[in-house]
Amino acid sequence: MRFAKLHSLAAISIVLAALACNSIQAATPRYGGTLHVKMRAPSVSLDPREWTPGSLSSAAGEKLASLVYDRLISLDDLAKFEPALAIEWSHDAASRNWQFKLRSGVRFSDGSLLTPADAVASLQSSLGKGFEVTGIENGVAVRAAHPAPDLLEQLASGRNFVYRRQPDGTLLGTGPFFVAESVMAAPSEINPTAIKPARIKFQANEDAWSGRPFVDFVEVTLGEPPLRQLLELQVGKADIAEIAPDLVRKARQEGLRIWNSAPQTLVALRFDDGFDAPASDQLREALWLALDRETMANVLLQREAQPADSLLPQWLSGYAFLFESPMNLQRARELRAAFSAGVPGAAQPLRLRVDAPGDLFKLMGERVAVNARQANLQVQVALPVNGSNTPAPAAGLHLFAWHYDSLSPRAELEAFVKQMLNGADLPATMTDPEQLFAQERRLLDERRILPLVLLPEYAGVRANVHNWNASPWGDWRLADVWLDSEDPMTAKAPAGTQKNSSTARSPGARP
Amino acid sequence: MTFRSKVFLIFLITVLASVSLVAYGVTFYTQRAFEQMDTQRTHALEVQFAKEFGQRGETIVQQVENITNADVTVRMVLDLARPNADASLYLHDANGAAQSHGLDFVEFVNSDGTLVSSAQYPARVGYKNDWVASAKNWDTTGAFLKREELPDAAALSLTAVRTQTVGNKTIYIIGGRRLDQNFLASLELPEGMRALLYRNLEPTFVASALTDANGGVQQAEAFQSLIEQIQKQPQDLTKTISWNRDPANAETFHAMPLKGRNGELLGVLLLGSSAKELVLLKREILKIAGVVSLAALVIGLLLSWWVSRRITRPVVELANGARDVASGRWDTRIDVKGSDEIGQLANAFNEMTGTLAAQKEKLVQTERVAAWRELARRLAHELRNPLFPLQITVENLQRARQLSPQQFQEVFTEATATLKAEFANLNNIVTRFSDFSKMPAPEFSKVNVNEALRDAIRLFEPQFTAVGKPHISTEYFLSDSLPEIDADPNLLHKMFQNLILNAMDAMPAGGTLSLRSSDGGDTVRIEVSDTGKGLTPEECSRLFTPYYTTKQLGTGLGLAIVQSVVSDHHGTISVSSEEGHGTTFRIELPKRQGGAALKPKADAKSAEKEPERAATATN
Repeated sequence: MRFAKLHSLAAISIVLAALACNSIQAATPRYGGTLHVKMRAPSVSLDPREWTPGSLSSAAGEKLASLVYDRLISLDDLAKFEPALAIEWSHDAASRNWQFKLRSGVRFSDGSLLTPADAVASLQSSLGKGFEVTGIENGVAVRAAHPAPDLLEQLASGRNFVYRRQPDGTLLGTGPFFVAESVMAAPSEINPTAIKPARIKFQANEDAWSGRPFVDFVEVTLGEPPLRQLLELQVGKADIAEIAPDLVRKARQEGLRIWNSAPQTLVALRFDDGFDAPASDQLREALWLALDRETMANVLLQREAQPADSLLPQWLSGYAFLFESPMNLQRARELRAAFSAGVPGAAQPLRLRVDAPGDLFKLMGERVAVNARQANLQVQVALPVNGSNTPAPAAGLHLFAWHYDSLSPRAELEAFVKQMLNGADLPATMTDPEQLFAQERRLLDERRILPLVLLPEYAGVRANVHNWNASPWGDWRLADVWLDSEDPMTAKAPAGTQKNSSTARSPGARP
Repeated sequence: MTFRSKVFLIFLITVLASVSLVAYGVTFYTQRAFEQMDTQRTHALEVQFAKEFGQRGETIVQQVENITNADVTVRMVLDLARPNADASLYLHDANGAAQSHGLDFVEFVNSDGTLVSSAQYPARVGYKNDWVASAKNWDTTGAFLKREELPDAAALSLTAVRTQTVGNKTIYIIGGRRLDQNFLASLELPEGMRALLYRNLEPTFVASALTDANGGVQQAEAFQSLIEQIQKQPQDLTKTISWNRDPANAETFHAMPLKGRNGELLGVLLLGSSAKELVLLKREILKIAGVVSLAALVIGLLLSWWVSRRITRPVVELANGARDVASGRWDTRIDVKGSDEIGQLANAFNEMTGTLAAQKEKLVQTERVAAWRELARRLAHELRNPLFPLQITVENLQRARQLSPQQFQEVFTEATATLKAEFANLNNIVTRFSDFSKMPAPEFSKVNVNEALRDAIRLFEPQFTAVGKPHISTEYFLSDSLPEIDADPNLLHKMFQNLILNAMDAMPAGGTLSLRSSDGGDTVRIEVSDTGKGLTPEECSRLFTPYYTTKQLGTGLGLAIVQSVVSDHHGTISVSSEEGHGTTFRIELPKRQGGAALKPKADAKSAEKEPERAATATN
């Protein structure tokens, strides 16, 4: 009996010791391995100049571009700005003149040093005509045509990366990775030398100023269908995969680790610019009142989305809760009854073109048609033919998805209005939230844009991926993650680890 | 048409009619057999369709029951039975069930009729399906046709509904399969047949709603009237559709309405049967009939020719014999074999010709005797006239021998003069008879008939106007456009002289002599009329008989010469007379004498210079 107790105690001690060792080993970051990432976008461009504001493919491009390029500053999860390529910044009282001091000794992936001229060229291109970017000693100066108190938010997000354009047209970055291999799917429309790969393999930049990332490679496969992504995540062929919102519940049921961002994509309806049908105001109002956003979010998207009443999400604007879009079928039917037979949506169906790719958006388009039918409105869903190349109909309705690119609500709203409302400009002096709210209120009251739902980004992360620390606005921060070694022989110490003791930091740590 | 042609034609028509009748009969019975076969095939296909429909319905019922009894479904019912249950959890369950059970349409409907999950139309989730909740006894109801609403269009489905109840909670499971070309492809169709399905999901005819086993149907508009007819009155209909002008490409469609659970028309099954085989067979039959007809025609031609020849030969011989008899050969005989009606007719013909020949011989002999008698009488009469003065003169001369020489001389001189005159008269009589017997053969040349008439009249004009003689006036009705004809001018002159002399004799108290000439086409017509006392019909009938005369001093040769001249010129002469009103002689002479050599004009002219001799001869 005593021996038995002793034996049991010994066995428990051994098991506990083994578990403790494993725990310590699991908590210790390690270098090496290839991170397999699956994304839905069929192709992406790593050239920020090619990105279309708000598009889903540009969002995917931005997500991957952050592996290769850096911005001047970054934002932590607590909304605190942190130095990146710029280590200091200052501005005048009017927030029109800004100066940024660049970090010294930063090198591009080819070993060449970052210069103020590189930053000037990149930022002048991304900030646009309202800003004048000039080089100063050890840094850059930005002069805004109007007060720009949100310049830091802009520079910490969107396309405002710093890169160097090579003579052959390719771009060099200072980020933790560089492109090691890519399989071209199609040449770039703007830059024929640039490529839009269907599969991109990123290699760790040993000399990255931010420190060498943990993984050796990040292999990104593009154009994976949602169900296949989920399957590959389950069978271990993917370490990180985008998850479509309508598959999140299934992924959770399968026991996968699911990450989600704050709402990043607005799904909305837009009346075509040429839509000027008789009684179009009543038609737009009737459709707005007929939309059942709650069911879309809670049933079709299984509570993985939010009903959208505004153009900008609450986390970005801070005032979105002030908007509401009540469903009122009775009023919608009354408005419909006043139509004449010649109005689209009455005798002739109103054509709804689903501009966003994927079955989810098609389903939402069909739901809009079903909602409209409840108000006796005829809406006919038409699927996209070739993405954005499809010629717009002379009059009609579009279902589109808008991805929020900027951390500045003003810049985001401005880009939205410019892109979706045919180049309309917001007042340049609009700086405070009240003005922004009034402007958005005006836009919503026009009923040319009818918000439907807000979608977060979802990603499935395998258990072997550690230190997954993606930002709420969708930055995956892949340089910080490290992988369990399934095969100890494949794990290795990174070459030149901490070779520069003066800049030695823990691997992947951000400044 | 000859008798032989008629016999030939009747025989030929009989042969052709027989062949045509046989061809028609074969075609008719073939068509009827094909129609019966077509009806049987269509019926068999209907039965097959119903069987396939039933089997497919049973399969669907089974699959829906499998979904109903699946653990997942039971768990769903349990979950939904909880208060505040989240139905959105089951949004994709219908899609999964549809895929795993091979169904096109699956829907889960809550007990209140709210759609919980839909494989085919997930956008409708949350809306009511009242029709399913309002009906009872779904678990004992088989599959039925249903109009399925889809996001882009409606579809036709074969649907079954089952319920799953756990505790007090019930959900409806609706499952179905699309009724489209795949269903048609599962039907085993005989050669030459095809099945079409019209999905009646719109109030009006839609061409794209018509499908066959391969998808869309070309020229679907051709079915519009048939479909619309069934839409108005859902019942079986049959219609033949001609795809083009070739009847071989026509198809006969038997249309069956397909109704839904509440009797509404949801589809139309069209079973088409091609007329190609029948039309080709009919063509083959007609082709064979054509060849047979052609062969029959040839054989019939030969046969009917031979038969008609055989039948009509005795008749033809009889006709030829009759024609010979008509032409004067009274002794014609027919060589006929057999003793049938034709043989008897031929024997009778032979007997008739024998009798006719004997009678003719007898008549000729009688006429010859009569002619000789007439000639003897005429000669006696003619000769008696000069003989009597001769006898008186000779007797006077004998008596004068007793007279003085002077007186004797006077008597002798007078007697010799009388004797000379009477001998001359005798000589003249003999000469005339001699001339008649020696009528010359005509020598044809171009003669102007009008001039010949005028020349003849001119010879007699002094006599017409001589003092102390009856006055005869002449009238001319001569056609100026009369052409020259082929004629002997001397004979023509002699003919006209005799006619004029005859007219003068007919008008002893004077009168009018009319001369007419006219163009009769191929002939020239000449009329010589007098206003004399006329002739009796008997005189008319004997007028041209030689030596027949009604005059005291006539020889009876004048009109005989006229007839002889007319006959030599291949013409005709006729006489019409009315007693007391005169007589008219009508002569028709052909313009041309076929095969006769013409005498030069000069000879004709020189001949015309001898009218006096001719006249003298006539007188």
